[in-house]
Amino acid sequence: MIEIEHVSLWYGKEFKALDNVSETISSGQTVIICGTSGSGKSSLLRCINGLERFQDGKITVDGLSVQHARTNIQKLRSRIGMVFQHFELYPHMTALENITLAPVRVAKKSKQLARKEANELLSRVGILDQADKYPGELSGGQKQRVAIARALAMKPKIMLFDEPTSALDPEMIKEVLDVMVDLAEAGMTMVVVTHEMGFAKKVADEIIFMDQGKVIEKGNVHMFFRRPQTERAQQFLSRILV
Amino acid sequence: MGIFSYDFDWSVLWREPYGHLMLKGVLTTLHLSLLAWILAVALGILVALSRVSSWRPARLLGGAYVQVFRNTPLLVHLFFWYYAAPLLLPRTGQEWLYNHIPNYAYWAGVVGLGAYTASRVAEQFRSGFLAIPLDQHHAAYSTGLTRIQTYRYVILPYAFRLILPAFTTEFLTCFKNSALAMTIGVMETTHTAYYIDSFTWHGLETTTAASLVYLTIAVVIAVSMSVVEKRIHIPGMITRGR
Amino acid sequence: MDLSVIVRNAPFMLGGLVLSFELAAITIVAGLTLGIILASARLSSKPVLYYPATIYVHFFRGLPLILVIFWLYFLAPVILGTSVNEFTSAAIAFVVFEAAYFAEIVRSGIQAVPTGQVMAAHSTGLSSLQTARFVVIPQALHNMVPALVTQAVVVFQDTSLGYVIGLREFLRRVNLTDAREARSVELYLFAGLVYFSICSLGSLASQRLEKRRAEGQ
Repeated sequence: MIEIEHVSLWYGKEFKALDNVSETISSGQTVIICGTSGSGKSSLLRCINGLERFQDGKITVDGLSVQHARTNIQKLRSRIGMVFQHFELYPHMTALENITLAPVRVAKKSKQLARKEANELLSRVGILDQADKYPGELSGGQKQRVAIARALAMKPKIMLFDEPTSALDPEMIKEVLDVMVDLAEAGMTMVVVTHEMGFAKKVADEIIFMDQGKVIEKGNVHMFFRRPQTERAQQFLSRILV
Repeated sequence: MGIFSYDFDWSVLWREPYGHLMLKGVLTTLHLSLLAWILAVALGILVALSRVSSWRPARLLGGAYVQVFRNTPLLVHLFFWYYAAPLLLPRTGQEWLYNHIPNYAYWAGVVGLGAYTASRVAEQFRSGFLAIPLDQHHAAYSTGLTRIQTYRYVILPYAFRLILPAFTTEFLTCFKNSALAMTIGVMETTHTAYYIDSFTWHGLETTTAASLVYLTIAVVIAVSMSVVEKRIHIPGMITRGR
Repeated sequence: MDLSVIVRNAPFMLGGLVLSFELAAITIVAGLTLGIILASARLSSKPVLYYPATIYVHFFRGLPLILVIFWLYFLAPVILGTSVNEFTSAAIAFVVFEAAYFAEIVRSGIQAVPTGQVMAAHSTGLSSLQTARFVVIPQALHNMVPALVTQAVVVFQDTSLGYVIGLREFLRRVNLTDAREARSVELYLFAGLVYFSICSLGSLASQRLEKRRAEGQ
């Protein structure tokens, strides 16, 4: 499904955000990426749907090369859904309008159909009653669930999550993670950047640990927690696990 | 085309007596603006402090000052100080004024421009004060500093760094506004340019030269302010708003 | 205090407000249009658009308006070959000058929209044009309205500068009345009061818009 081959990314001339990263993610898998801040996790995620341009290597998603000149990047992005740390809901639109914008304008669906599907998504994430509220009226957990619904509206084959719960108050983290667990168990291909290790243990097929732009360790989740192979992974785990 | 039939004579700029006049005009712009600026900053800080004071009459007075000056054009102020203000003095005062201050127009310009600019400086300081969390004050008081000491050693330096960009812009605006003093007869740069035209019909050259003078001032201010900013910069402290 | 001076000459002086408003209206409409074009050029990645617009904006923001008025007053006949009347000359100067300020307001309004919004829109497959139309511009407009209203108030105050080329707007008429009646205190306080009333309304509107904008956040 996603083939990342020897990808490197530089910011300016000195800072190397990604250093020869390679990874294969198969359909239906849930992959967790964790690591220190500045390790390149978010950059990698954004390279997958073309929001960031990398200089070396190749990324292929569902058979299409992300940076190839002939690839229709808009079409590719419709097949990938992304959820952001700071939700990024459009503040001037209601929850429902946030979700229906792309289906109507990109997938050219009729407004009635888009609204019907949006309502289905909202009840799937548990907040149908907030459909006509503006983001400013919603709690963090509610906003993120709307964001997930918005990403799902284009019926993507892959979902990318960039630290989806890092900006949430503790009591709202669970409601978002529950939605994500449901998605994973329903068979969605997911790449999640997170520090939520409980979530990782529950649904992850594979965990990748990154540091300074490189993949330091990867493998089975339970092995990673019980017996981390590298010293840096051990340091990292000792710091985040209380 | 018209521009080729115009007979340019750039020597107007340095030929005597015009060259001398231009120089005097530029110097007048410089010292008038600087004097007005000093008045503006002194008065501005006072007004800003009164606006954040806990004494209600001070707050109302400060607020009224700013509202009045912000909603009336500078030109009205200059006319008022030049034509109307002397009439408010008793006869003896007026006589003294006309006999002892021959270039009253200049001083009316300084006071008018200074008082007007003060209202804008006051607003900038006030927004700087308001941007500083109340806990900073509390921290200072808890170590035993008095109100005045807190403002002098903690709040004012902090506020100043926050507002420096806006402050710089206001400084430049003060120089630009000095040109309005020509309407009450002050022979500064712009007036001199216009005046020379009435003798030589080469107003285009003189106003071009005048433009260059103001642009040079703008560049000098911008450059020196970035030098100042670098000097007083505190690592990790955000001095520019996004 | 002789208030009858004001009463007697009020029609003459206030008649000048018509000209002040006309000049302000033309400046705001044309200046904002030009400002939007300049702002778009300043946000463009093409040097052929970016550099001229940036130079334009920095140039006019570094000069006093009064000088621009004079400069154009001297320049317009030379370029156009014929003499130009005061109102036209003032209008051109105002539009050209204020456009630089409108441009910066429009530009900061657009730049204040977080880049995350653009990323979110792109991630759902929206094109750049669609993103601009549905996500960026509505938010940018919301951002800039208070500043635009404030600038409109500034433009109105600036019309008083038409004075220097003899434009018979409000302040010049007050000045003429003063030359005749020599009751400066009453007359200039009156002038101040008139400007204050008009501009306060504008400032109040701007503050209310700003409050509503902050609440909607």
